[in-house]
Amino acid sequence: MLKNYFKIAWRNLARNIRFSLINIFGLAIGIATCLLIMLFVQNELSYDRYNDKADRIVRVVFRGKMNGGGEIKEANVMPPVAQTLKKDFPEVTDATRIRDYGMPRITYGNKTFKEDAFAFVDANFFQIFTIPLIKGNAATALLQPNTAVISKEVAKKYFGNENPIGKVLLFKDQNAALTVTGLIDEVPANSHFHFGVFASMISLPEAKDQIWMASNFFTYLLLQKDYDYRKLEAKLPNEVDKYIGPQLQKSMGVTISQFRKSGNNIGLFLQPLTDIHLHSDLTGDMQPHGDIQYVYIFSAVAVFMLLIACINFMNLSTAGASKRAKEVGIRKVMGSDKKQLITQFFLESFLLTGVAMFIALGLVYLALPVFNNIAGQNLGLQLKNNIWIVPCLVLFSLFTGVLAGSYPAFFLSSFNPINVLKGRFISGKRSTGLRSGLVVFQFFISISLIIGTVIVYKQLSYIQHKKLGYNKDQVIVVEGTYWLGKDQEVFKQQLLQDPRVISVSASGYLPAGNSYGNNFLIYADNNSAQLVNTLRYEVDDNYIPTLSMQLFYGRNFSKQYGTDSLAIIINETAAKTFSWNQNAIGHTLTRQDNYGKKFTYHVIGIVKDFHFKSLHELITPLVMTMSNNDNSNIIIKAKGKDMQGLLSSTKNKWDNLTTQSPFTYSFLDDRYNNTYKAEQNTGLILGIFAGLTIFVACLGLFGLATFIAEQRTKEIGIRKVLGANVASVVSLLSKDFVKLVFIAFLIASPIAWLVMNKWLQYFAYRIQISWWTFFIAAIGALLIALLTISFRAIKAALANPVNSLRSE
Amino acid sequence: MIKITELEKIYRTEDIETSALNKLSIEVKEGEFVAVMGPSGCGKSTLLNILGLLDDPDGGSFMFNGIEVAHFNERKRADLRKRNIGFVFQSFNLIDELTVFENVELPLIYLGVDSAERKKRVEVVLDKMQIMHRRNHFPQQLSGGQQQRVAVARAVVNNPKLILADEPTGNLDSSNGNEVMQLLTELNEQGTTIVMVTHSEHDARYSHRIIRMLDGQTVTENLLV
Repeated sequence: MLKNYFKIAWRNLARNIRFSLINIFGLAIGIATCLLIMLFVQNELSYDRYNDKADRIVRVVFRGKMNGGGEIKEANVMPPVAQTLKKDFPEVTDATRIRDYGMPRITYGNKTFKEDAFAFVDANFFQIFTIPLIKGNAATALLQPNTAVISKEVAKKYFGNENPIGKVLLFKDQNAALTVTGLIDEVPANSHFHFGVFASMISLPEAKDQIWMASNFFTYLLLQKDYDYRKLEAKLPNEVDKYIGPQLQKSMGVTISQFRKSGNNIGLFLQPLTDIHLHSDLTGDMQPHGDIQYVYIFSAVAVFMLLIACINFMNLSTAGASKRAKEVGIRKVMGSDKKQLITQFFLESFLLTGVAMFIALGLVYLALPVFNNIAGQNLGLQLKNNIWIVPCLVLFSLFTGVLAGSYPAFFLSSFNPINVLKGRFISGKRSTGLRSGLVVFQFFISISLIIGTVIVYKQLSYIQHKKLGYNKDQVIVVEGTYWLGKDQEVFKQQLLQDPRVISVSASGYLPAGNSYGNNFLIYADNNSAQLVNTLRYEVDDNYIPTLSMQLFYGRNFSKQYGTDSLAIIINETAAKTFSWNQNAIGHTLTRQDNYGKKFTYHVIGIVKDFHFKSLHELITPLVMTMSNNDNSNIIIKAKGKDMQGLLSSTKNKWDNLTTQSPFTYSFLDDRYNNTYKAEQNTGLILGIFAGLTIFVACLGLFGLATFIAEQRTKEIGIRKVLGANVASVVSLLSKDFVKLVFIAFLIASPIAWLVMNKWLQYFAYRIQISWWTFFIAAIGALLIALLTISFRAIKAALANPVNSLRSE
Repeated sequence: MIKITELEKIYRTEDIETSALNKLSIEVKEGEFVAVMGPSGCGKSTLLNILGLLDDPDGGSFMFNGIEVAHFNERKRADLRKRNIGFVFQSFNLIDELTVFENVELPLIYLGVDSAERKKRVEVVLDKMQIMHRRNHFPQQLSGGQQQRVAVARAVVNNPKLILADEPTGNLDSSNGNEVMQLLTELNEQGTTIVMVTHSEHDARYSHRIIRMLDGQTVTENLLV
């Protein structure tokens, strides 16, 4: 019996090859998209779960609300937090820290590299995080000063194939040697940190500081089994009073309670390890993280895509029903009961889904590199490592088979044998209604996705073209220029002689990309009770012109004024926060350092507000002080088209001045764009998926148009005999579909508006959703639908009426 | 074998009721060959469908081999049908995707006959219908006469007690038509009961008895033998 079913299924596929291909291909695209998204979602959800103790590890974070200065939300905390919490709370079984150390220069023999994944970690690090050591002892590797555990890749880079254990790397920043005591394979891809060198924390003097006023250490607590971290979190405000309070009073002259009374608040909070990747809103994370929002969006897209493909399958199967009707009739006459027919059609659906699944796997395999590239992921489809995929795929095929096959199975098996064998093939009103509903649903999803994509693109273009208050174009950032030491000035002068260079500034502070985070608590005009949190940029006198910022009032820093080391330029928002507005010039701002020493600055200028955070956040008060010491970057404003030439001559100048560190640079506009990488990727992926859903939905529409045209063959014939022309027949056949698309549009518009409006709320600076976005989506969907239908409709309209009438 | 008494069948649309069978009573004995004739719309096809358990009557009684079957559910009807009744249609109704052999095999599959036995029985019947050489062809590769021979082979492969033929020669030329009628006659001679609906007086003459119908009722019954 089964053999007979498969035989007939297979022959049916082969006989209606065009129909079958449309059906299988549509389904394959749907399944492939769904699989791809499932891989992505699975990977996103798997972050940090490779740790055996993942559910017991929490990260301590620092949050605060400051008067006028918005929010502080730091992923790292003060050096003593780890040991203090471990000492004060028995529920903290252990605590460990990571100090991300930027890009120090490491030398071995004649090889020198800027090691961009370098961290100091506490000695117990490898006992809390599950990163097995291939060589060395996890418990003891980092107990001694000047030791390090490195990854295979780093070992290969410095030592080739030699055994790295016992080898000594020179760590120039600390003027110290690092003995390799352990080797790891690599940190798993789904980790919220990735380092190649883990140096022993005991080597780092600042790790022992008892300073509670500066955050630099990522701090993780290992809690007792099944202990609810919220209970511990509730006890942390006391710790803030006990430890931060006295130091706050010393440096700011206010008690913690006065500090709170004047509208400020700070505190330590806990974040479960497994929440870091998708639920973190903190600044200063070790690497860009995901966003649960996108996991939801893409999961929804996956489900919708699969539904669309299944609906397609249903519509195409029932569209071909008139062809199968006779077979159903004969089988019933031959003694088949309904159950056997349902089984048969389910088997067919499984067969088709199975074939589609194989094609989908091929498509996923081909699309993965592209997807990885676009989404910045590293997803794979290796069965070897993910054997669970196989049963999942089988289950997934069965599920899709049932979803897609159920309606056709029940629909086809319910045919009355007498009617179908007499050629009276009538499909009931109910099934037509259901099919129309399915088409509306498909177009509802497609139109929603079009609207979503258009809005994402408009917001992205808004970001791209928004006036930022500075000019990011043709700005080169040469990084790590402290390596030049005293030659930095020479380097600057040499650059200025190049006709392609307009101006040059030295500052580590950049308005685009990851560079802010220097909180600066100040009060105005000796009113120490009104502390305001600002962000400080340490800049030189060329910074403002180099970045084409605008001074509203007052003047820029100048070397001609000897007193400019205590001069300060504030942004518009700061002037408003202090209620000075344009009258800020001449006022003073005072800051106390950690030891209580006061520095009073005179306001000399107001700079027009510029966006130094992403457009997700509002502009907050910012101040600039003059510094000739901060020289980690040289910022070059260039002109003309010969960027490549300028870069290579800049590199030559660099290489002539230092051999200690390689020349590295970035473009300011790239840094800016990278801030919105997640949104750009989402926009692109959403666009692709919107296109695919439309395509698959149109395959279904094509099928349905075929079905309707077939059903109305006689009607069309009669109308033509009575004088109808082609246009009127085409419009007759298209009218109903246009109605369906229009209904879909009516449903999609408010829902898409709600969802996209919510998405836009994530941006402090955003577009207004305009009516024509919806109009474009509606027209687009309608045009595509009409094109699809008209192909079929014109064919039906051109057919010779004599043939269609004879067929009766 | 068949005894129907005061059988009624009414077709309803929104505002019209059409009585297809109007208190019809007929008896067919085992081994009989009966032809049913009458103008279009007289109810002969409806009668055949009810006899074939493809349709329910709205009233009256239908005894099949002494059992009341008028209100059997679909599963019971399907079961009774596949064990006892063979069908031959005007338009052959072969499944286009199956070969001659597979088409004839189909009723045996639904009867649950094992594969070796199926092969044997299909070959015997194909041989008998002189269509063995076409066993691997698809219906569309055959002439009308050949297709109807396959349909007859399919109808008899499970040795049904009753064959219902709905204008079996309607789509055939006279020589092919005669051949098919000859086949049916032979089957009848071997003991199979046959009820045949036809428009053709010529074909009807092959039967033992002609029932003439009009407006859902029998008008005359002519005994030919």
